[in-house]
Amino acid sequence: MAIATGVRGRTEDYVLLWGLVGLVAVLSMLPLARLVLEAFVPEGAFSFDAIRHVLGSASTWTATGHSLVTAVGGTLLAAVIGGSVALVVSLTDIRGRNAFVFCYVMPLMLAAQVIALAWIQMFGPSSPLLRMLGIAPPLGSPNPLYSAKGIILVMGVQYAPLVFLTLRAGLRTLPQELLEAALAGGAGPMRVIRTIVLPLMTPPLLAGVALCFVSCLGNFGIPALLGIPGNYPVLPTLIYQRLAGLGPGALSEVAVLSVLIGLIAMVGIVAQDMLLARRDFRTTAAAIEARPFELRRWRLPVEIALWTISFLALVLPLTALLMTSLVPAVGVPLTASTATLDSYRFVLFAHDAARRAFVNSFGMSAVAALVIVTVVVPLAYFLTWRRSRLLHFVNLVSEAPYALPGVVLAIAAILLFLKPIPLVGISIYNTIWIILFCYIARFLVLGLRPVISGYHQLDRTLEEASQIAGARLPRRLLTVILPLVAPAAAAGALLIFLTAFNELTVSALLWSTGSETLGVVFFSFQQGGDSNYAAAIGMLTVTVSVLLMLSTLLMAKRLPRGVLPWRD
Amino acid sequence: MKIANFRNIAIAGLCALLTAGTVAAQAPKGKLVLYTSQPERDAAQTVAAFKKAQPGVEVDVFRSGTTEVMGKLAAEFSAGAPKADVLLLADAATMESLKKDGRLMAYPEAKVDGLDPAIYDVDRTYFGSKLITTGIAVNTAAKSRPTSWADLAKPEYKGQIAMPSPLYSGAAAIMLGTMTARPDLGWAYFEKLKANDAVAVRGNGAVLTAVASGEKAYGVLVDFMAFNAKAKGSPIDFVFPKEGLPAVTEPVAILKTTQNPAAARAFVDFILSDDGQRLAASMGYIPARASVGMPAWYPAGAKIHLMPTDTPAVVQANSANLKRFAELFGN
Amino acid sequence: MARLTLEHLGKTFGAFHALDDVSLEVEDGQFVAILGASGCGKTTLLRQVAGFDRPDSGRILIGDTVVSTPLQQMPPEERRIGIVFQSYALWPHMSVAENVAYGLTVAGVRGSERTRRVDAALALVELNGFGERRPAHLSGGQRQRVALARCLVTEPSLVLLDEPLANLDVHLRASMEREFARFHERTGTTMIYITHDQAEAMALADRIAVMDKGRVLQFATPSQLYREPADPVVARFIGDGMVLPVDVVAVNADASCQVDLFGYRLRMRCAPARTPLGAALACVRAASLHVMATGGQGLRVRATGVIYQGGHFRVEGAAVADADVALHFTVAEPCAVAPGASLDVSIDDGWVIPAREA
Repeated sequence: MAIATGVRGRTEDYVLLWGLVGLVAVLSMLPLARLVLEAFVPEGAFSFDAIRHVLGSASTWTATGHSLVTAVGGTLLAAVIGGSVALVVSLTDIRGRNAFVFCYVMPLMLAAQVIALAWIQMFGPSSPLLRMLGIAPPLGSPNPLYSAKGIILVMGVQYAPLVFLTLRAGLRTLPQELLEAALAGGAGPMRVIRTIVLPLMTPPLLAGVALCFVSCLGNFGIPALLGIPGNYPVLPTLIYQRLAGLGPGALSEVAVLSVLIGLIAMVGIVAQDMLLARRDFRTTAAAIEARPFELRRWRLPVEIALWTISFLALVLPLTALLMTSLVPAVGVPLTASTATLDSYRFVLFAHDAARRAFVNSFGMSAVAALVIVTVVVPLAYFLTWRRSRLLHFVNLVSEAPYALPGVVLAIAAILLFLKPIPLVGISIYNTIWIILFCYIARFLVLGLRPVISGYHQLDRTLEEASQIAGARLPRRLLTVILPLVAPAAAAGALLIFLTAFNELTVSALLWSTGSETLGVVFFSFQQGGDSNYAAAIGMLTVTVSVLLMLSTLLMAKRLPRGVLPWRD
Repeated sequence: MKIANFRNIAIAGLCALLTAGTVAAQAPKGKLVLYTSQPERDAAQTVAAFKKAQPGVEVDVFRSGTTEVMGKLAAEFSAGAPKADVLLLADAATMESLKKDGRLMAYPEAKVDGLDPAIYDVDRTYFGSKLITTGIAVNTAAKSRPTSWADLAKPEYKGQIAMPSPLYSGAAAIMLGTMTARPDLGWAYFEKLKANDAVAVRGNGAVLTAVASGEKAYGVLVDFMAFNAKAKGSPIDFVFPKEGLPAVTEPVAILKTTQNPAAARAFVDFILSDDGQRLAASMGYIPARASVGMPAWYPAGAKIHLMPTDTPAVVQANSANLKRFAELFGN
Repeated sequence: MARLTLEHLGKTFGAFHALDDVSLEVEDGQFVAILGASGCGKTTLLRQVAGFDRPDSGRILIGDTVVSTPLQQMPPEERRIGIVFQSYALWPHMSVAENVAYGLTVAGVRGSERTRRVDAALALVELNGFGERRPAHLSGGQRQRVALARCLVTEPSLVLLDEPLANLDVHLRASMEREFARFHERTGTTMIYITHDQAEAMALADRIAVMDKGRVLQFATPSQLYREPADPVVARFIGDGMVLPVDVVAVNADASCQVDLFGYRLRMRCAPARTPLGAALACVRAASLHVMATGGQGLRVRATGVIYQGGHFRVEGAAVADADVALHFTVAEPCAVAPGASLDVSIDDGWVIPAREA
């Protein structure tokens, strides 16, 4: 009679699905659960001691206050800059849009700590840039960036592209007719923006704001470079200093701090989630855009203004950084005779830790990208085409390690792996493997979102046809689906590589000798007073990142729309 | 133990016994884990030179500020799994506390000829490798030039002084302990500095950056950093204050729990050998064994007046001092 | 070759009945069309038969094997059927030969045997030599044929075609229709053809199932559907029929009856056993309506519109006795009928739609 199998499908489908779900659970839920556990059950004994101690300490609340001030300030600045740029780029007829978006979004893909150093080098009495222009401030002037204002400024400029991208994605879905109807009714452009565009675009704008808030809150590199010298701690740097100074003995307290920052971030994450209903700038498929505003004689000034913003945010700081990397020591002015490539030579050839860091960063970023893409292609298949509440939950959970500040994941990982893994007996603490684990957990969503987007743009009948031809799921994934989502997967892999390559937050807490990353070595040089070595490393990582981003322009045609943030 | 006045050593120059080739009958090999608070570049050079002398040994280095290195050690001790074999830290006070906890392995056969006995531990658990003094660094464009520590309390230096925080730097901790014990300086001096808007920054590296970049005109800084930067063209000068200079000896020690005692001893030998001492001088440090010669910046025939340090007293008062400093200057 | 049996199939999406008690039996080797407007449930039906969806009630059997019940489902990859999709679903990253060979590769057929069968399939659809091309470089009709070849190469017992001609230009459709017909003749495969185009269905199918709102209204040969629709919806859908309210006056033994249409008496065909006297609905086709010469005694009609259709006119009108009853008929050029005119129309054939079975 019937050779039917269960209504749920074949067993191997289920093995694959549960395997993936289990993997995501281990990567996302397990570390966070362990973290929360440590806050309430420090060192194995249930007690509120750790919580009481941390919450009762003045330094906790000082740092929290500073975190909120800088996060809110940075977000407001980013919203103003990024929002305005988005409105101009999306609604007017400026030229060179693609090139501009590429340059404007680029700082977002570069390392935050490198950008911070670049900005530092733009100010202060010994700035090679200011010196060359003859406008360096006199001796004894403090660098204005070592302050809350400095942190807010750099964060605001650095994360403005986030608001830009989210708002722009929203503006793309605005039907042209709505704006044209208003214009036909006699409203001027500013009134249209005020009464029609902004009210309709409130959800994407607020979502971008929430995303920006969480990023500012969790960022480590900028307050590390700008806040530590000026003695202005925020929660991530406080966690870092506690852990660095006191070692694993401070883990329980650091766990409480991590939970605290996680909870604050949750406000932003939940807000973003509710506003965007699961869409974000990386997965938007572009519709035909509304461009109703003609600028006419304002066009050239507006274009100049836009490119000036990009110049100030990108070119100027990087120039200062480049100049710093060419001077032999701090405070030496850059002239034809003092310029030297010594810093580069040292960093590339003479310094063991730096050489190791290059290998480690390249290697770990590449491996993380490959592993994630391998996991994500089948996972996205289930998430896109087999709806179920469990899968929806898995999707949500996989976002946590990326949405939450990096310090949270790092501390969670330390707690999880401090002792050797049970049954296997191997300890990955203080090795590159714990950093790799965190990269995979944290950047999983960076691969997941583009691939899901790729699946959405796929015609399902292609898979059904292969099913009818007799192919089971593994073969279908391999022969039909993978070749078709490969471009989206490649885009995701690139995003992952770039982000992992440039990150500092996670590896600052997890590194040890032999597992240094470029971010760690950069930071270590800067802390030790060797700004020129730090600048050299910074320039090298910027060059690699920019080259990678440029290479995607070659692949431009084959990539699905909306997966790479710097491609319009 | 008092560190005697090094004038005698400098002028008279103890005759250096030729240190025989210290290569043991059996060349040491395997892995050696070094924890050090030396600056990056110097740590790299030290390890590279050691590897040339002992090619069979692989060296793993962990480098950070003294506080952080001690924190890491403390963590490893409490987990019962210390990873380090040898330590090369800023000051003897740190080593004293480790010795008191019974963490150090004695090396009686170490070749200490030519070294002032004040430089190494009487029980041969740690050995000073060089002399690092702390003085006043001045940006060459600065208007005034201090000649003594007391000068820094004067009004014309207000808001222009950076100093390394003893909460982070071992050398600064020694400086704090040494100076607060003196009647002519004491805690009153630091209160005057605070009133003069001096800032405490994270480590000597930050002081160097601040002074060389011109953000502060004056800084409390270790000698070799100022002179090495000056040699590369940084606009910075170093002043030997009249009252004298506190000094640390950057001792090397072997941990009792070392996995590779042969290589560890070879490392100590290297540090104390003529080659190791010459390396220190070439990196800009005053070597422990004066006979190998002074670094290039050392004014010929000069006498550097050191502040004597009562190490056990400093160790005793350390945590109280740090707490008081934190209350005064902030965390 | 296999028979397809659907037994009381039901499927609901929320409150919407996509399939409502659908029962059908397709004989081995038959060419059956499922005909209906969009939303009638024919796509849902196809997906159930293919195995992409499972029914909420009822069973599906292919041959003697139960393949779908609400609780158990044989997955599509095991059913050994073929589908020609509306969008062809050719894999863009494979050549034509690779597309066609896919099913064989999955089944483990290799080497010369596989090449032989692929070539044979391509020959069957007259695409010899196209093996190395990419789907992107083929025209719509060629892609359609590749899809067909791919479907056939594994010799399935049952072939489903999902509106295969919907995306083709009009002039291509005719030739593709011939293609399908020829193919069916040659291979005798059981074919289920989903479409909304009645001309296609009538031309190709042995039997047609007309679906509306998830139910099968009538499953019969094209001729039966045309001449003896079982339902007003079928009557209107096929051949643009008119449904008129009549009064059955007498039923004759020879399957005809006398009916009264607003006072006009005429003879119509009927099913004697299921045609009670009294009010009923009748299906009348435009071809049966003729304009009577002045003075004739027919059905009084007022013309409301006259549309030129090239060589003849379509006259739309309503019965004078009841303006809600719409009628239309054709008049050869030149047309003497003007809009608003009243005229008499004779009806020479009709069919009384039988009453629903209890």
